[in-house]
Parts: sequence; structure tokens; C-alpha cells
Amino acid sequence: MRNYIIRRLLQLLPVLLGISIVIFAVLRLIPGGFASGMLGIDATPELIAQVEARYGLDQPAVTQYLRWMGGVLRGDFGQSFRSGAAILPEMLDRFGATAELTILAALISWCIALPLGILAAVKRNSMVDRVVRVAALLGVSIPGFALSILVILLLSMVFNYYPPLDYVGFFADPVKNLEIMALPALILGASMSGSVMRMTRSSVLEIFRQDFVKTVRAKGASEGVTIVRHVLRNALIPIVTLVGMQIGSLLGGAVVIEQIFSLPGLGLMTLTGINNRDYPVVQGCVLFIAFIYVLVNLIVDLLYAYIDPRISYD
Amino acid sequence: MRSTKRLLALILAGVMALALAACGNNGGSSTPAPAPSTPASGSGTPEPAPAPVEQMLKYGTDTWPAGFDPHTISAIAATRVFNQVYETLISFNPDMTYQGLLAESWETPDDTTYIFHLRKGVKFHNGREMTADDVKYSFDRILGNTDAGDIGALGSSASYYGGIDSIEVVDPSTIQFKLKAPNAAFMANLTSSYGAIVPKEVVEANGGSLAAIETMCGTGPFVYKDSVVDNYITLEKNPDYWNAGSPKLDGITYYLMADESTRLAALRTGDINICSLSALNLSEVQNDSSVKVLSYQSNNYTYLGFNLSSPKLQDKNVRQAMSLAVDRDAIIDYVYNGEATVSTFVAPAMGHWVWDAPKESPLYTKNIDEAKKLMEAAGYGENNRMTLTVAAGLLDSIRDTVVVLQQQLKEIYIDIEISNLESGEYVDIWGKMDTPEAGFDAMCGQNGSGTDPNRAVSFFFSSTGNANVWGYNNPRVDELCAQGVATTDEAKREACYLEAQQIVIDECPNLFFASPMEYFFVSAGLEGFAPYAANANDFNNITLK
Amino acid sequence: MRSLVSTLRDLWKDPMGRIGIIGIFLLIFMAVFAGQLAPYPYDGIGMKFQPPSAEHLFGTDKFGRDVFSRVLYGAGVSLEVGIIAVGIGAGFGYLLGLVAGYFEGWTDRVIMCLMDILFAFPSILLAIFISAVLGKGIGPTMVAIGIVNIPVFCRTVRAAVISAKGLEYVKNAQSVGVRTWPILVRHISPNVVAPFTVQATLALSGAILTEATLSFLGMGIQPPDPSWGSMLAEARANMARSPWTALFPLLFIVVTILVFNILGDALRDVLDPKLKV
Repeated sequence: MRNYIIRRLLQLLPVLLGISIVIFAVLRLIPGGFASGMLGIDATPELIAQVEARYGLDQPAVTQYLRWMGGVLRGDFGQSFRSGAAILPEMLDRFGATAELTILAALISWCIALPLGILAAVKRNSMVDRVVRVAALLGVSIPGFALSILVILLLSMVFNYYPPLDYVGFFADPVKNLEIMALPALILGASMSGSVMRMTRSSVLEIFRQDFVKTVRAKGASEGVTIVRHVLRNALIPIVTLVGMQIGSLLGGAVVIEQIFSLPGLGLMTLTGINNRDYPVVQGCVLFIAFIYVLVNLIVDLLYAYIDPRISYD
Repeated sequence: MRSTKRLLALILAGVMALALAACGNNGGSSTPAPAPSTPASGSGTPEPAPAPVEQMLKYGTDTWPAGFDPHTISAIAATRVFNQVYETLISFNPDMTYQGLLAESWETPDDTTYIFHLRKGVKFHNGREMTADDVKYSFDRILGNTDAGDIGALGSSASYYGGIDSIEVVDPSTIQFKLKAPNAAFMANLTSSYGAIVPKEVVEANGGSLAAIETMCGTGPFVYKDSVVDNYITLEKNPDYWNAGSPKLDGITYYLMADESTRLAALRTGDINICSLSALNLSEVQNDSSVKVLSYQSNNYTYLGFNLSSPKLQDKNVRQAMSLAVDRDAIIDYVYNGEATVSTFVAPAMGHWVWDAPKESPLYTKNIDEAKKLMEAAGYGENNRMTLTVAAGLLDSIRDTVVVLQQQLKEIYIDIEISNLESGEYVDIWGKMDTPEAGFDAMCGQNGSGTDPNRAVSFFFSSTGNANVWGYNNPRVDELCAQGVATTDEAKREACYLEAQQIVIDECPNLFFASPMEYFFVSAGLEGFAPYAANANDFNNITLK
Repeated sequence: MRSLVSTLRDLWKDPMGRIGIIGIFLLIFMAVFAGQLAPYPYDGIGMKFQPPSAEHLFGTDKFGRDVFSRVLYGAGVSLEVGIIAVGIGAGFGYLLGLVAGYFEGWTDRVIMCLMDILFAFPSILLAIFISAVLGKGIGPTMVAIGIVNIPVFCRTVRAAVISAKGLEYVKNAQSVGVRTWPILVRHISPNVVAPFTVQATLALSGAILTEATLSFLGMGIQPPDPSWGSMLAEARANMARSPWTALFPLLFIVVTILVFNILGDALRDVLDPKLKV
């Protein structure tokens, strides 16, 4: 088991290295530079050269990259060009908001999707099945940004309600924090629930066909007991995989929702960084998001071991 | 009470989100319910007299400031915040005369000498008194002359004050500027937020940079309190502000709300009480008694600038044909809901400096036949149409303008291909607009005429002007620009700039369309705010009811 | 290998499948005949903010353009972006997956590492980056969304190839010196058709959604081209005042994505023999 973890961790290195190179190169390929963006229309070529020299942007790209990577390996992600603030602490701060949003959305999607998915599987091909599937798919089908704006408009017009504007962390003020998070989490959760429901349904169906379930059923166990005790446990494996992937992609994927609700998360930090051409910020964020993503997937793989004793790691 | 209400709303929100998810789009067309009598206030019990309204201004801002160093950043998202914290020596009155801020009075013994007598007893937010040394330090920093031998604030502010020869501290409350040559724009430039007075010790304690929000320490009416990046910034009242009795507010909180429709929604619920919105929203709030609109004529104008390195645009006939084909009133109608004025590059708000092109220039009257003739003379026709790649600047109004232009220019054999720029690439491409590298034949954007015609004319159209990115070069215009800034005789200056305007408008290096009105949408209880083009940030007299 | 006809027949038997087929058919019909069906050109400006009426079925937008006509033309843009993007993703994914699965070893490791790199980027951020590099408009948007879709297809094919290589007759062919990869292509193709088709249908809905989001952020389709996403983005400021400008494109986005999802689900049921209880 330990060897497996070490091997998997080693496999992550080339991926993370590749990501760092790709993001570094992509940022320099994007038209527009940091200096001209910061200086605005009063900029002169001399001034641009001075600014680039100050931030080391006049160095060869390889030097810049090695300098950045050297810092990252020592745990120093550098400072934002724009604000001068250290990047790592801010990313960790922002990660709090994004992680909370992601986890809440995942929980909401499970609450919606697991029961519905099982129901659809049990009543396969009935009217109930179809209604449940279409309803769940609707959640995936509405673009999150449109749903967000519609919900905000409706709430303000009908109930004169607008969610709190000043963000507080969960630990500072849990009630207010949850009030802020409620709408974005619901909207994201609704959009995730479609695929979770689909996965639940099909894996439950698959388990139903397996011999041991047939045996249990033949022995006269009640449907409810069968589902809970035998089917769900086995059906969880693909669902966990899916959720792992979703959590990973939500980290940066919630960027539009974060923008509309002004949630100070990682996605918004990255987007602002792109707009400002704040290279170290974007590089840091992307690397950080990717790192969390591969880590989550590793954890998901390890979770299998507990859910499914048939899988062994040697 | 409020929390129950919120809880209820929240539960309903959840149900609605699900309902929406479950039944496509049956919502959205519902009619607005009449707004409840009072916006939710802090008081919980119904009986006692209404608690006094909290004097916190809640401002919905569209963009997070890209930095907080007044000597580096001039973007409006940033100046609207740090202009409350930092102050300049002087500022403009609505009638474009000057009023003293940190300077109480000033004298100009000769064309190149300016002496400012500073207000006494003005304190920075760290408690130290502001003196002439700080003024000198601030300008040294801007010009890159500080002890650090540094390149200063590393911003474009230096270009505003390049004509300064020396700065001398006469006594702790008197400072003297010597200019290299007479510069009629000097006073106007001092009103720019680039000329903010900052305390030396704070700059040095932060390694020469004021970019971080916590470093904000000026003399202004509001003091930085706290913030969450990409979310909110709170400023609180400066109790020691030199202008006693001012400000009336207890503080300001800026909330980042990128989306226009969400800003309007929050304004209606009372969660914010001021924000800027486009004219398209005017009719939406017409019958809403909880919202009122404050407007002023800006000194901004919209333009279509031509990349003169592109051979097809070097033909003046083509450029003039486009000017003739454009229906500026239609642009104003579609883009600004009628709330703008036909403009040149010296916006109508600049009064006597303006050459009245809409009346005087034939190019400002739509004339498709004449335009077609010019295009045909240049070799174009129905079977030989011109394709024009146009980059559209950052504002929605600019993007909309290009869509209208595209339709109007179709008639004269021109097909426009639009590309909307995002903020990161905008300035970069703009700076290359006199070369093929820009990748565009033209760029549509919005410029500010500034407060002095020197900015409006020389900066944008003299061959050495920093913002003349089009490759436009006319020796007579250069000559007039030089004359216009070298004298302080208003009549002579006016003559120079009026002639320059005629030349530029006739040669069409850019087309000019409209000078929009700017709007603040505020809650009905907000009083004491009268924004004008040269100063839309004076919140000192605002009260909330 | 199941014939196309029998697949379609099975699909038609399933009510969900039937909805999917009819929906896709209507959509393609809209896209192909937009020019004939639309009462107005998609970019002709006129009286702005007209509510829906007999003259303008879906009303007009802020430029007075007919929303109904734009929605019709938008079907073409959205479908074009979706289909070509998924085509790029599936095509490259197929090739890379085949190569990775066939050669294994270092080739496999390098390709899969590249796929992991692409995968670890959140898809919307990746699309933002790619379209920032490539520029804006229909072409770059299709390429950006296409690249985002490569890894999923690549993994599907690779898994199929590897499991096919374990089969007896492939091993036998290998041992007698027959070049195996033509066999593999012939053998795995039927095996990947099912997961591939399902994946493609779902990817199509994802692509349309991504296009809408990109356009909403101002990076996708450029004006005056009428994609549903860009229509929605342009209309959002006026959503409260003239909801028809936003709701009709939204309705079509939702229904289209829904139809593709329903079809994908039904296809999976039909094509996945394991589920035939």
C-alpha cells in the first residue's frame, strides 16, 4: 500500500512539471503584456522597458521559468506583480472559499442524485424513471451563469432579497457564510446532480444483475434492505470516481459562478490574473489547482481500497 | 425580524433554484413586486422610532482595482477608491476653475514659476502632519528623483509632470515649482490623481511600492479600514479631516459586482445605494421610486481609430467616406438610449475649446451618396468590397457601437469583422495601431478629452503625442499644438486648438461619434451628491436617509 | 457489430430515444434551413426592444434585430461549433488512444502524461487559455473546445485497445508475425463505437455549454454572429426589462443540451449490451 502511494506520487511529478511548462508558455503566447496593461495609454516604450526590467521580464524565458520553478520548489510562489502580495498565502485563503463551495455543491448534488438515481434504477423504464432522468438532466442543461442571474433577479424582484455582499469565512461567521454560499452552491449542485444521478442509476442497475444480489433477493430479503446493504456499497465505486473528477474540475470550473456572486475564490483569482497579465499569479493558481486535482484523484483511488476489498495495491 | 425574512427568502431561493432546474425557464418574466416600504434596516423591534439610517455608503463597483498606487494607476476602478484616501494640491470646480485642496492658495510670479501655500494642520492618516517636504517627495517619486535613485513610482505619472525643472521647499508650508518652459496645462495636470501627495515613510516602509491596499495612507476624507480581495473594500471616516464637518458619511464600502444586472438588483433591494450603470437601464428605473439617477455630461468620447500603416486606409477619401456614412444620431439612439451628444475629440463638456463640427463640418452630416462616390473614386464598389478588421475596446457601449457601425458601413461597400478585446490585450494592441503587427485595420474605443485642450489635442494627435498610436502626422497640427501649450493667453490658445481641430476632423485619422452621459444610479435616500466631469468622486456631503 | 438501422430501430422503441431523435432532427432542420425559415436577416437593425408579436415572434433585441431569426441562425452556429469541436476531440483522441494503447511503454506513458496534463486543467480555464492564444471567433472557439475534449476520447480508445490486445486471437496473430495493428483497428473499432457514440453525444452537449460560457465571458463568438451563448451574454443587462431577449436563446440552449443528453442516455442503454437484463 505504501509503495503504491509512493509510486503514484512519483507519477504526479511529470504531470505537474508539464503543467508548469504549459502554463508558463501559454501565458507568454497570449497577446498583451503585463507592463503595457499596467501603464495604460500613457505608457512609453522606455517606461515599458523599465517595468519589464523591474519584474525580470526582460530575461530569457528559460531563466524566468527556472527562477520561478526554483521558488516554487522552495515553497515560494513569488509576489503578485500588481499588488505585491505574496501569492501562496492568498491562494490558500482563496482555496478556502472555493473548497467550501465545491464541497457544498457536491453534498447537495448527492442529496439530490443518490436517492433519485436509485429510484430510477429500481423503477427502470417506468414513467418515474423517465421523469427523474429528465429532471436531473435539466440541471446539467441550464448554463450556470444564466441560472445564477435569473435567480438573483427573481429573488430581488419578488422577495426584495439579495445575498450578503461582504464575504466572511466559514469559521468567522458560519451562518452568514452559509447564507452567502447557499445560492452558488445550490446552482452548482443542481448542475452536478445530473451526471451523478446518471452514474448512480447505471451502476445500481449493473449491480442488480449480479449473482449475489439475485441470491440475496431469492432468499427473500426486502427490497430496501437489499438496496442499502448490498447494492449501494458496490455501486459507490464509480460514483466516487465521478465525484472525484467533478470536485477537481470545479476548483477552477466555478469561475463564472464566482464572478457573478463575487466569491473570492481561486477561479476568480485566476481570471483576474489573466486579465491583468499577472503572470506569477496565474502560474501559481493553475499549478495549485492542478496539484489539488491530481491529489483528489489519488485519494479517490485510495478510497477504492476501503470501499471495494477486491482491489488490492501491491 | 430580518434574519427570519432572510431565512425565508433563502429557503425560497433553494426551492426556486430547483424548480428552475426542473422546469426549464418558466420564470424571469414575472412582474416586479412593489418594493416594501423600507429597505431592511438594522432595527429588530417594530415599535420604537425608526433608528437613524446607517451612514455607510454601499458602492457597487464593476472591476477590482488593479493596484492602489496613485502614482502608477489611473484606471477608474482604482481612482474611485484611492481618490477618497489621497488628495492632490488642487482640484477643479464644476465651472473648470480651480479650488485648493492641500494648497490653500497659489501664485504665479512668472510663466514658469508656481508657488503653492499649503494648508496647515493637515494630517496623514498615520497622524503625522503633511508638509512641503511631502509634496516635494511625492513629485520626486513620480519623476524618479528620490534618494533611492529609483525609477520612481514606475508609472505613467511621470509623463504628466515631465516639464518640471525643479521643486523647492521654501518653508514647511510653501512649495515652489519651476518649469522648463511655459506650460498652460500644468495646473490642470496637478488636479490628476497622478499628483497625489503621499507620505515618504510609508513608501519607504513598503519597499518603495504603494501597490498593496493596506499601504493606502493619504490626507483624504476617508481612511482604509479593511478588505477582502475581489470582494469588498471598506473605508471609514477620517475624524481628523482638515475640512471640519466633512465628510458626513461614516464610511464607504465598495462591493465588487461585475454584472450590471446584479448591481441593479442589489440597488433595488437596498443592499447597495450607489453604482454606475449604462443608459440602457434608465427606462427600467423610471417608475421605481426607490431609485434615482444622477447624471452628468462626461468629457469622454468614442472613436474609431484607423491603422494608417494599412494601405487601404491611407486614402483620405476612404476615411472621409466613412465619416459621411456614419449616422451618429443612430449610434446615440441604439447605444446610449439617446443619452449622449455628438462629439469630436474635444468633448462638448469642454465648452469654449470646442470646434462645433456637427454644425461646421460637412463630414458630420450623413450623406450616403457622397460617401459612395468617394468610395467609388477610391476603386471600391459592390463587387469589390473592402474588409475592415476592427478591434472593439472594453466597454459594452463600445462593442455595441461597432455593431451599429458595421450595419451603417455595409452601405458603402465596407464589411467590418469585429473582435472584442479583453482588458489584458487591449492596451498592447492599441499601442501597435500604427503597425501591421496590431492585426487590425481599426480600433474602436473611448478616450477622455481630459480637462485641458493640450491633453485632448496634442496627446492624441500631434506626431509626438504619446497617445497618437495611429501614425498620424501633420506638421501644421504639431505647430499649433506647440503654440497652444507655450502660452497662457487663453484667446491665443483657443485659436490654435480650434484650427488644429478643423484639420484633424477633416483628415479623419479617427472618426468621432458621441460623448456619453455618465450615470450614477443611487437609492432615493441618498442626498448631497453632485458629480461633474472633472470630479465624480466627491462624497463629502453625501447623507443617507 | 450492430447495424446502424437496428440501433436506430431500438432507439426509436425507447420513448426517451424517440424524443432525442426527434429533437436532434428538428435542430438540424432549424440549422440547415435557417436562411429559408428566418423572416429577417440575423444582423439587420431596426426598432429596438419590441416585445414578441406576430411581426417579431420572439421580439427584438437592443439593436432591433429579430430574436427569432437570430435564434434560428444561432442553431447553425451552435451545432457547427459543437460538431466540429467534438470531431476534433474525437479524431485526435482516437489516434492518440490507438497509438498509446498499441505501443504501450514509453509512447504510452508520454501520451497519457500529456492527457493527464490537459485533464488537470479545469476545462473552462483551459478553453479560456486556448482561445486567448488562438484569438476569438468561430474557428478558434471550435479548436479550443476540441482540445479540451481530447483526453476523454483518448482514454476510452486506449482502454479498448489494451483489452483487445489481451484476446487470444490477437495474441496468436502476433506470435505468427502478422502485423497486429490492422487487426486491432478492425477489432477495436466495433468495440469503441458504443462508448464513443455515447461519449460524443454527451460531449456535444458539453461543447455547446462551453461555447455559451466562453461567449458569455466575451471570448467566444464575436458579433454580429448569433450564437445562443453570445445572444444571452448581450441580453443579460436587459434581462429584467426585456426578458424575451435572454429567455428565448436560453430556452434553446437548455432544450438542445437536454435533447443531446437524453439521446446520449438512450444510446447508452441501447448500445451497452451489458445492460440488457
